[in-house]
Amino acid sequence: MKKRFGLLLALIAALVMLVVPVGNTTHAQAADNSLEKIQKKGVLVMGTSPDYPPYEFQATVNGKSTVVGMDVQIGKKVAKDLGVKLKIKSMSFDSLLVALQTGKIDMIISGMNPTPARRKNVAFTHTYYQGGYDIVINKTDKAKYKNKDSFSGGTLGAQTGTTQYNASKSQTKNTTVKGMTSQSDLILALQSHKLDGVAMEKPSAEAYVSNNKQLAAIPSDFNMSSSATSSAIAFRKGSTSLVNKVNKTVDQIKKENLVKKDYLPAAGKYLKTNTVNTSMTHYWKAFLTGIEYTLIITVCSVFFGFIIGILLALARMAKGNFFKNLLRWIATAYVEFIRGTPMMVQVMFVYFGLGLFVNLPALTSGIIAISLNSGAYVAEYIRGGINSVNIGQTEAARSLGMSNGETMRYVVLPQALKNIWPSLGNEFITLIKDSSIVSIIGVTELIYQSNIVRSDTYRGVAPIVVIMVLYFILTFTASRILNYFERKMQHD
Amino acid sequence: MTKPVIEVEKLAKSFGENQVLKEITEQVNPGQVIVVIGPSGGGKSTFLRCLNLLETPTSGKVAFEGHDLTTMDTKGVNSLREKMGMVFQGFNLFPNMTVLENIKLAPMKVKGTDDASATKRAHELLERVGLDDHADAFPDSLSGGQAQRVAIARALAMDPEVMLFDEPTSALDPEMVGEVLNVMQELAKEGMTMVVVTHEMGFAKSVADRIWFMADGYIQENNTPDEFFAHPETERAKDFLSKILM
Ligand SMILES: Nc1ncnc2c1ncn2[C@@H]1O[C@H](COP(=O)(O)OP(=O)(O)O)[C@@H](O)[C@H]1O
Ligand SMILES: [Mg+2]
Repeated sequence: MKKRFGLLLALIAALVMLVVPVGNTTHAQAADNSLEKIQKKGVLVMGTSPDYPPYEFQATVNGKSTVVGMDVQIGKKVAKDLGVKLKIKSMSFDSLLVALQTGKIDMIISGMNPTPARRKNVAFTHTYYQGGYDIVINKTDKAKYKNKDSFSGGTLGAQTGTTQYNASKSQTKNTTVKGMTSQSDLILALQSHKLDGVAMEKPSAEAYVSNNKQLAAIPSDFNMSSSATSSAIAFRKGSTSLVNKVNKTVDQIKKENLVKKDYLPAAGKYLKTNTVNTSMTHYWKAFLTGIEYTLIITVCSVFFGFIIGILLALARMAKGNFFKNLLRWIATAYVEFIRGTPMMVQVMFVYFGLGLFVNLPALTSGIIAISLNSGAYVAEYIRGGINSVNIGQTEAARSLGMSNGETMRYVVLPQALKNIWPSLGNEFITLIKDSSIVSIIGVTELIYQSNIVRSDTYRGVAPIVVIMVLYFILTFTASRILNYFERKMQHD
Repeated sequence: MTKPVIEVEKLAKSFGENQVLKEITEQVNPGQVIVVIGPSGGGKSTFLRCLNLLETPTSGKVAFEGHDLTTMDTKGVNSLREKMGMVFQGFNLFPNMTVLENIKLAPMKVKGTDDASATKRAHELLERVGLDDHADAFPDSLSGGQAQRVAIARALAMDPEVMLFDEPTSALDPEMVGEVLNVMQELAKEGMTMVVVTHEMGFAKSVADRIWFMADGYIQENNTPDEFFAHPETERAKDFLSKILM
């Protein structure tokens, strides 16, 4: 079962909670009106990580990429019983808990198992599904392997940080255990014989096997507590009334065996239609959306990053009275800080951290974070560019009566920009590639789309090749266009 | 008597420990042409740059038409700089603009002159320095003599009351010195007040009203050209002239 809760995210969550003591702690203490609040809002936002068939995954329904799976069916039923509308938000599994705590989503249904550690942070309903583990192997090896104990001297793979990963490590002997973040990568490694088997949940294993004739599943025989193999719905801590109400729905689902009877078969249907056409051209729409978002993010971030960069560069060169010195100090500290921390952390901080004060959509958060990041780098280019302009230019402008600002704007900056145009172009091209980082908060750019297509088609390499080519076309075109303008500027 | 345009009182300037100007007190009257000469490193450029506050004096007073620049706010200084055109040894034309744009920029941005009148005036000035056919050229394509004439036209476009020249011909090939000096001589004839740092002794003799001989951080002699060149008073000046007239 998925159990990952990245250390990084845990840290960010802790930081966020530290900065804003009104987080979930007061939620817990305040009079519980969670049920009332949801019903008043009329919408229940479900967070899920759709890369985990048959629990949740992306499928093309009526030509549109949609999140489907048994968890979605459960979410629909919960919303219906509450008398509200269901809204699904996709994000990486790692981000789900933080998103719940910061109010981005109202509940998590994502094959999440109610471990004691998680219970400290969120409130779980009764479990709605009891799973187990299989090991997926190459069909040709069927005679060789029987269960977890057959892999002595071999290599087992599992999704990093999951329960099955830990079990593979602790419950096998003489077996190398390899962790990877995505199931489709693991299957790929299995098929290219880098792994001998992949431990995963029964429903997932069945889905892979039924969609890939070269694979087979064997029982794992892991020794597991039931809490590690069951799934439950998570709500914010202290939402007792809401949890109690939803428990009624969960109990009914269990009593009527709805998961096995209705939800899994329904999910399986999507899986089947998926395998009919797994050619990459079938997914051109997904890739197109990816390109669109990648370009939106890049262009917006370059634009705002440029403005931020100019302001920062000017602030870094301010000198004189106390206020100006303070400004310079802040700008310098900002640039150093941004350049000294990973962009990925910045993206998550903006999305989850700022998200506590204003509800920013993922795309906006991504653009803000990347603009802020890019601004720091652009500022350094611009500062270098300004310094490269002969001091005589400034003196000539000042001697004509132009103010400091006019001199900057009309004389120095145009020349500085011309000098640093190649560096700025590079920054643009870097951003086309680096914008992929926002896929972690669920922005549907190219990387995100390729992951969807990969888990959708069970094809590991083809989507990677497609986006590699697409990225190259984007960067190559961009660099041609930039060169054209560079040449044009030289002629002026 | 007319009031002086520029008054300098106990003007001193140091760069760190290095005292470059040592309490200079002088004045420039309207219509006067002052030629500043002296050995290199004597502080001539620094002095000139203190007059329009490109360099901030360490102490002392620089007054333009009775207003002390050293106690003025930035805005005031900017508006007085308009009235003092400056021409540099290295021209300092804006390389990203055409000749015409170089000249129009300051009048339009600082004075708010409209495009049509700025263009008209720029052409007049170019005509005057003999370069109207180069209006649309970029500075890179000009010879040194042409570039310096454009720089003079650019400074004149702000209708200054005083023109400061810092070795305007020192960076030029010898055959181009004449064309720039001619323009300057014309200006002087028209009554422009000028402070000129130069090594062109011919120009100094024929155009200057006063020669200021500057060495070691102060003005050692202030005299008419005839007197100065015929009878230099200080050893420093005699020494300098003997070297330069060889
Ligand atoms: N910006 C500066 N910083 C430090 N020292 C300077 C600066 N400008 C000029 N100086 C020094 O001041 C002295 C006078 O220089 P300058 O005014 O250029 O003399 P001149 O124009 O007569 O050759 C020289 O010793 C020079 O090194
Ligand atoms: Mg000099």
